[in-house]
Amino acid sequence: MKKLLAIVLAAVMFVLPCMAMADELTMGSWRTDDVEQVSALLAKYEELTGVKIVFQPTVSTQYNATLRQQLDGGIGPDLFYSRTFSTGAELSENGFNVVCNDIPGVKDNFSDSALGGFIDKDGNIFAVPFAAVSHFVYYNKAIFAENNIEVPTTFEDFLAVCQQLKDAGIQPLSNGIAANWDILECVLCGMIPNYITTEERLAYESGERKLNDETFVRVLSDFAKLVPYLPEAFASIDNDNANVMFGLGQSAMLIDGSWSYGTLAGDDYDIDVGFFPIPAPAGMTQGFSLHPDFGIAGNAASAHPEEVKAFLQWLASVEGATEAAKVIPDGFLPLINADVAPEGSIIAAMNAVGEGKPSDMRFVWNMMALYTPMVDQLNAICRGEQTPEGAADAINALWEAELAK
Amino acid sequence: MTAKSKTMQAFQGGKTIKPGGVYWMRYIIPALLFYVVFMAYPMLDSVRLSLYEGTAGERAFVGFANYVRLFTDEVVSKRFWNAFGNNWIFFAYHMILQNALGITFAAILTNRTMKGRQFYQTLIFIPCTVAVLVTGYLFKMMMNPQWSKAPLEKIGLGFMVHSPSGWLGDPGTALSAVSLVSVWQWVGIPTMMFVAAFQGIDDDLIEAASIEGATPWQQFTRIRIPLIIPVIGMVAIMTFVSNFNAFDVVFAMETLDGAPNYSTDLIGTLFYRYGVAGQHPVGIPEPGVGSAISTSIFCMLLCGVIPVLVKTQGKE
Amino acid sequence: MAKEKKTRSLKIMNMHIPYHIIMILWSFIAMFPMWFLFVNTFKVKKEIYTNFFGLPSKWTLQNYKALMASSDFFVYFRNSFLVVVISLFMILFVGSLAAFALAHWRSKTSRVIYFFFVIGMMLPIKIATIRLIQIMKTLGTLNTLFSLYPVYIAMGLPTAVFILTEFIHGLPGELYEAGYMDGAGRFRIYYQIVIPLIRPALATVAIYNLVPIWNDLWFPLIFITKENQKTVLLAVTRLQGQYSTDWPKVLTILAMSALPVITLYLLMSKQFVKGLTAGAVKG
Repeated sequence: MKKLLAIVLAAVMFVLPCMAMADELTMGSWRTDDVEQVSALLAKYEELTGVKIVFQPTVSTQYNATLRQQLDGGIGPDLFYSRTFSTGAELSENGFNVVCNDIPGVKDNFSDSALGGFIDKDGNIFAVPFAAVSHFVYYNKAIFAENNIEVPTTFEDFLAVCQQLKDAGIQPLSNGIAANWDILECVLCGMIPNYITTEERLAYESGERKLNDETFVRVLSDFAKLVPYLPEAFASIDNDNANVMFGLGQSAMLIDGSWSYGTLAGDDYDIDVGFFPIPAPAGMTQGFSLHPDFGIAGNAASAHPEEVKAFLQWLASVEGATEAAKVIPDGFLPLINADVAPEGSIIAAMNAVGEGKPSDMRFVWNMMALYTPMVDQLNAICRGEQTPEGAADAINALWEAELAK
Repeated sequence: MTAKSKTMQAFQGGKTIKPGGVYWMRYIIPALLFYVVFMAYPMLDSVRLSLYEGTAGERAFVGFANYVRLFTDEVVSKRFWNAFGNNWIFFAYHMILQNALGITFAAILTNRTMKGRQFYQTLIFIPCTVAVLVTGYLFKMMMNPQWSKAPLEKIGLGFMVHSPSGWLGDPGTALSAVSLVSVWQWVGIPTMMFVAAFQGIDDDLIEAASIEGATPWQQFTRIRIPLIIPVIGMVAIMTFVSNFNAFDVVFAMETLDGAPNYSTDLIGTLFYRYGVAGQHPVGIPEPGVGSAISTSIFCMLLCGVIPVLVKTQGKE
Repeated sequence: MAKEKKTRSLKIMNMHIPYHIIMILWSFIAMFPMWFLFVNTFKVKKEIYTNFFGLPSKWTLQNYKALMASSDFFVYFRNSFLVVVISLFMILFVGSLAAFALAHWRSKTSRVIYFFFVIGMMLPIKIATIRLIQIMKTLGTLNTLFSLYPVYIAMGLPTAVFILTEFIHGLPGELYEAGYMDGAGRFRIYYQIVIPLIRPALATVAIYNLVPIWNDLWFPLIFITKENQKTVLLAVTRLQGQYSTDWPKVLTILAMSALPVITLYLLMSKQFVKGLTAGAVKG
């Protein structure tokens, strides 16, 4: 017993000296993947201004919950990655964010559509827009070449390609439903800009158009046409599995977010990756899904308010955004109104795909009450337990009830 | 040594036959202090939250509105009762299978003449030491037809794959699969407790019975089991209580939503989703509803625990 | 003759063959996933998916090397170890004191206190996070391991009090009476008679709390952002990307992080065995 006590006391002594606090800013994030890149950016900033900011990412699945608790408890980081739309806005409405309306550059250097994801109920801009994401069909160039397949330009061609691959004994798509998010966010929301324009989306949101009208049923029916080309075990395949399958060459295509390009084309796998937008049906306009993904917010309760504002101002300037674009991971597209993408970079290539096409954010992001029900309906369609019409009716009923509230 | 006698003096009540509460409180206060400051007060304060609405800062008092919502709102109440039902199944697996295995193993491992007991006990315990994140991932891989079907068919174990959806992808089997993984991982804990209990039994009793001609099975059912009834009650209560707070295994294997189709949603994940994290991707929690969920469950647990407590622990 | 026969059959009986069969069977069930864990730490990221069940086609030590190369992991291990050892020691110490009192002091008040402790097992402590942050802020212990100890101690006390009270209550009363006859004070009875006798129960409580404390992620996530105060599990989550995770590396680190737990377990079950022999003396 005494020995144990001695050990405990020694241990306590061992810990005590580690308690000094340094005077530096902290930045919270869910991008554990980007420690190196963001640290480089922050080092650059320190070189320019002498202000030291430490990047402290939290595992993404726990980020929202822990950030909220920390902010509520008064121990939040000085700067933090902010989600877009209602998730980010809600923190701001509780007064946790530095209001960015008057930060020079914010209103001038970003388009209204870019800022649209960062405005709360009170009209405050709650973060400096940073990056958007898009959704693509990734394809294995070698498999396409071996089977003499051209990149499809219409949805019908796309289905024909899937069928041709399936007939040749090659798994066409590797998407699955086990993760409960990518089937909606990447696949369905990736398809929707081909069918529904921004104005039409607003009409659905206001209830002017019904979510079981012809167009929306069409979207869901086209989605249902993809189901036969999913892997047999789609119910057990999550997003990670889908990526690995495609990366290993076990499937010819994968519908996923632009962020996956970095890993798929990186050192982990030996495949030659190409990408194209999810094709629109013949006779319809090819759209481009471009969704504001995150911004950088300042903590209103920070002990270093001046430094926080200065950093946000730098990020909102072309100089800052250019530096940021150099380190931004592949597949995240800068939101600033300036050509900051390094030449020949994948960002430039992805921007080029979207060039001149009508773009829109993810369909459900202003109708968040529908998010979970839509995931449930899509899962049911995949399992063969629901028809596109039935799903559309169910979704429409929910939205009508929501609007009536 | 002088220190010892001083300590003794400090506990003056020590020599009286029945010291009073003031004396005993000295033993209890250190524990009570930690418990009240860092657990009871913060938790009771959070139970109060169930009467409030709002996510941060200024919260508005709404009376029992959160409870009304929990039990009458179509979506919330459906999820609640679904998770509640799932939780009973999850609990049943642990109560019946895990504790039966625990008693069996403990009975075997307390045979004084058996060799290798320490070795077996350590092996049984090893899964407990590995983070759920890892065991969850391993079992996900093993049960995913995409990765396991071909290799298992090669060695003639193809029947272990649930094709095509996988055990974890089929709403009909997912909860059982998750429960069994949890039983597998934690069976070492009840085993330990039962071993401790069996070892506490006076050897004379067993010896006497064996001289009287009782078979080992009779010794087991008539002497050893009845003697550890209080511990069985205790383990039952702990199984009950901890399973209604279970969270990690579902989180690691089936996402926060209790996929597929909410078939593995437990009270723990439901509470976390509503009260702490908020529904993905919005992530705006409703601490009031979360608190209402855990308060309701708390009351139900109390109703379940009190009778067991009275029955098994109440005897003087 | 008859006696000889009896000893022989006793000898066979004492080999406990059916018992060994059961135990070997379960040992296999318990260990085969551990085997997969072990072999997969020697694979590169891709191979875990193409060849999960088999031996690595090419054994690689890169995961272990990466672990060794980051000197921080020693710090993380030290932190986790401190957290577990100190919290467990305190849980056992204050918990057994309280249990000793609650088992002997039979009154309405003591029952209320006992019950007050027991209900602590029934609410998820995550619910109390905000208040705990505020308490830790007031105490100035945020970002240090001192913000974790009290929470874990408090978390462990309900089970400790519950289990230990039950076990102390089950001890034969004559033991104390003998103590009184010798003129021993109650505190001396507590640490000279009761503590050795309830060693198995103490080991049980320790092991019961060991696992959740070692594996807790929530409180370190919220309380600790400083590198040199991080626990192992907190550090591991850094390796989990938003969309992709280097699983072989995660498996390697978490397999390694199980080793200290197993060591602690073995140390404690030694105590356990000591307690058993002490128990044998009493019989």
